[in-house]
This record gives sequence, structure tokens and C-alpha cells, in this order.
Amino acid sequence: MIFLATFHWGWLLAALLLGFAMGWIAVVHRGHGVSKQLARSLAALVAVLLAAALARVVPGRPGYWLDLGLLMFALYLIGCAVGSWLRDRVRPGPASVN
Amino acid sequence: MRGLIRWSSKWWPGTIPLAVLWALAVWTSTSPLESELAGRSTAALKDILLDKSRIAVSGRDVTLAADAFSEEGRRSAVAAIEVVPGVRLVNDETRLIPEATPFIWSAERDVVRVTLTGSSPLPASKAKLLEAAHADLGGVEVVDQTNLSRGAPPRFDDAALLLLGQVAKLKDGKITISDAKVSLSGMARDLGGREAIAAALKNLPEGFSVASNEIKAPPYIFQAYKDPVALTLTLTGYVPDNNVHAAIVAAAGRKFFSEKVVDNLKASLGAPSGFASAVVPALGALSRLSTGTLVVSDREVKLSGDALYDAAPGQLRGNLSKDFPQGWQLKADISVKPAAAPVDATVCQQLFSEVLTRGTIRFESARSNLDPDSAGLLDYLIEIALRCPTTNIEIAGHTDTDGDNTANQTLSEKRAQAVVDYLVKAGLPAGRFTAVGYGSAQPVAANDTDEGKARNRRIEFVVKGQP
Repeated sequence: MIFLATFHWGWLLAALLLGFAMGWIAVVHRGHGVSKQLARSLAALVAVLLAAALARVVPGRPGYWLDLGLLMFALYLIGCAVGSWLRDRVRPGPASVN
Repeated sequence: MRGLIRWSSKWWPGTIPLAVLWALAVWTSTSPLESELAGRSTAALKDILLDKSRIAVSGRDVTLAADAFSEEGRRSAVAAIEVVPGVRLVNDETRLIPEATPFIWSAERDVVRVTLTGSSPLPASKAKLLEAAHADLGGVEVVDQTNLSRGAPPRFDDAALLLLGQVAKLKDGKITISDAKVSLSGMARDLGGREAIAAALKNLPEGFSVASNEIKAPPYIFQAYKDPVALTLTLTGYVPDNNVHAAIVAAAGRKFFSEKVVDNLKASLGAPSGFASAVVPALGALSRLSTGTLVVSDREVKLSGDALYDAAPGQLRGNLSKDFPQGWQLKADISVKPAAAPVDATVCQQLFSEVLTRGTIRFESARSNLDPDSAGLLDYLIEIALRCPTTNIEIAGHTDTDGDNTANQTLSEKRAQAVVDYLVKAGLPAGRFTAVGYGSAQPVAANDTDEGKARNRRIEFVVKGQP
């Protein structure tokens, strides 16, 4: 993991920043979010992919691509969470109005 | 926390650029990652002994194919790659090199090249042996067809190196190690090569033994050529050592009374047993020929040439087969020289006197037995006697003054008679010869020096005219 992080630090940083930007925007975004149903399905999909990666069942290059994808996705989510939390902190007025 | 869950439902649009980012990362990083991991894996295997190792990387998975020399080596190779950072899985396609039973290694030499076949235990031994073969064999082409196998006996390298040194001493042949048994066959390059190889085999490492040594030596050749025109006896070929060399040259000097001995002999190991006891009588036989060649090849003696009178070839064959050591063979191709033109009594006397000034008939000390070294001289005297068949000849024996007169008188008579007997045995009529002893009464030199005494001890042939 440390090797992947040092080898792909550029891409991972990009995913983190992308997540941060998305999280920043999400707080004031007025569009529709994903439905609970879809969110659950997506979470299940991610859980399956994560399980596949940890069990190392996907061989060769696809296995590597899956690892890289999940890593980037994890950093994206961290970026999103940090972005949203910060935006919420700096936003004027009570957060719970809208 | 509730806010985070609410906001997270709106994070999805970012996944689209994230997917693009991921695709780009996959596109650009896969090959560099694979070559990085291949490099690190190769470096990890640097100190592990493997043959034919191949590393293939697909994503983060490394496939290792290699021939290992032990189970432990195989396991440690896989373990070394598993701990390389970044490697996810190792596909183990290693195998142990086959075990050879029996473990056979051989070096075969023919006219143009040396071929190494069979098994070598390790790549390092294989390379070391090939290098040693090049060094030992000079410019000879060396072809290495050995495979790597397990199961070599301990100290195999040392044994193989020693044996490669012996291949250099072969003209052709094969040396094989089968487990710890060594077999050798072929022909040594030089005389003495067989003995040198046998000596070197005593230094084989502990545990190795010689199963069979069938190295043959090239024929051991000794030649003598008697040239009646140049009056030379040329000796060529080999003698076992300096003592035998000196003995043979000295014997040749005694037996060939008028020929100069040209000595081109070289000392070499590898002589058949009984060499000197066969060559000396054979030289005696050659001395009785007018012209002839003696070729000794191992234990075969070929004598060819012209004898001086009819009875001589039979005597030569009989004497030689009696004198030869056991195991020696004689091939005699002896003809008789055509009889020379008859001469009258005066010329006959001159011829006798001339031959007897060049050589002296010798006897055993203080006895009347003819010395075998005088056979050549006696044959020449017989040939002369045959040229004047109508003459009577007095064989006169003389001694020096040592000892009392009666004994000397008797000795001179007996010695003269011994010569007459020899002539009669050669086929001359007994009636033509009279044996007379003069004791020390007719000296031809002063008896006060050894040299003078030697000159006085003599046999003279005196032609007495027509019967």
C-alpha cells in the first residue's frame, strides 16, 4: 500500500483534490442527490469490489486496476468529507436552515 | 454526521471525472509499474542460485519460472519476491533441476575437438570446467554439451578438473565420471603419457576411485640401421633411461667393430619390460648382418637384412628366440648376401689381417668361451674364408705374459680351438683349419702396459697356401 501510495502520489492527490472540490460544492448544491435505494446498491457494489480486492481474486492487470480504482475512490471520499465539513464550517448562517 | 450523510448523496457527480482520472492513471502507470516491479524482483533474486530464471509481471502479480538446485533454493526464491514492496501475488513456476542417477560426466577427445557431455552440478562448475578445458587444451576446440543436474558426488569439481588435465595428454579417448567411479580409455599422445595419467589419478579427491583405466600408449619404437657403405650404425627412437641408454650404446660399440655409432636415442618412459635384455641381443644379431635394419616396436622385434653366409640366418633366429625375454616376438626377414668373388691366398691373408686390425676376437676373461660381442667380427672372417676355399688356414692363439706360461699356452690353444669350432659350425670344412696356441711367446707389443697386453691377447688368421 505504501508502495502504491508513493508510486501514484500524483493521481491520488488529484483524486483527493477532486473529492475536496466535490465535497465543497455538495453542501450548497441544489440538485437531487442519489436515492437511498441507489446509495445502498452502490455501497454494496463498492463492498463487493473491496472484498474482491482484499481477497486478491482478480488476477493480473485487472486486479491492479481494481486496487488503484478503490484507492483513488477512497481518497475521493475522504476529500469529499473534508470538503463538505469545511464548507459547512465556513458557510454564513445556520447550517440547518436549508 | 447527519449533514455528512445528506451531503454525500450529492457527491456522485465527482465520480465521473474520478473515473476519467482513474482511466488515465491506468493508461499511463501500468507499464512503468510492471517494469519497476520486474527490476526489483530481479534484484531480489541476485544472490539466489537459479538457472534459466524468467520473471514476468502482469499488474502487481509476478510469475517466476526458474530451475532451482535445491528445494530450499526454490522456496527462498519465491519468498524473496513475495517481500518485494508492491508485489501482490507470486505465481511459482519454479522447478527443481532433474536428479541424475547415476551422475555421469564425460570428456571425449577426437582429432579436432574435445566434447564435454553428461551432467554438471551448478552453472558455476559448468563455467569453471569449460574455462579449465580451454586453458588445458590450448587451441583445441571445446564443445560443452553438459546439462545441469542434481546428484553430483562430493568434490566433483576437483575430480573433473584433474581429469580435464589428463584429457590434454590423450591423442584420442574418453574419460568418464559415473557417480564416484572414473573410467578412462583411448590412446596417450606421447610416450610416457599413459604413465603420467596413471600417476595423476593417484591425486583424485577422496571418495573417487578408478573403475577402469584402458589408456593405451603409442608404440615404443627403437630402431637401428647398419649402413655398410657409410660404415655407420644409426640408433634412433627411445630408451627407458640414461643407464639403459649408456648400456645400449656401449654394447653397440663392442658389437660393431668397424662401424661408427650414431646415437640419436631419446630417453622416455613407457618401455616394455625386458627392453634392454631384448635390444642388446637383437643388436648382436644385427651386427652379424652385412646390411640390415632392426625395428623394435613395443615387444615386437623386426630384423631384416643380409646375412654373410648360408648358416647364419638359422643361427640368428635360434639364438634370438632363446635370448629374448618372455613375451617378446621376433619377425626375422633375413636373406643371404650373394657370395663375393673368390680371391687368392695372398688377398685372403690381407683381408684377414685388415679385419683383425679393426677388431679383436674377444673371450670371457681367462677362459676360452667366445664373447658374444665378437659374433659380428667372426662372421666377417667366415665370409673371407669362404672367398678362398682352396686355402688352409692356421688359427693362431696368443696371450699376454700374465699368469704362468703353461696356463697361457693351454689358454691360447683352447681359444684358437674355440674359433675353429665356431668356423666349422658355420659350415666351413674342419680340415682347412689348424688351431695352434703360442702362449705369450710372440708378443706384438711390450707387456708392461695394459694397452700392450690387450694387443698381445689376440687370435690371428694365417693363410698357409693351397692344401
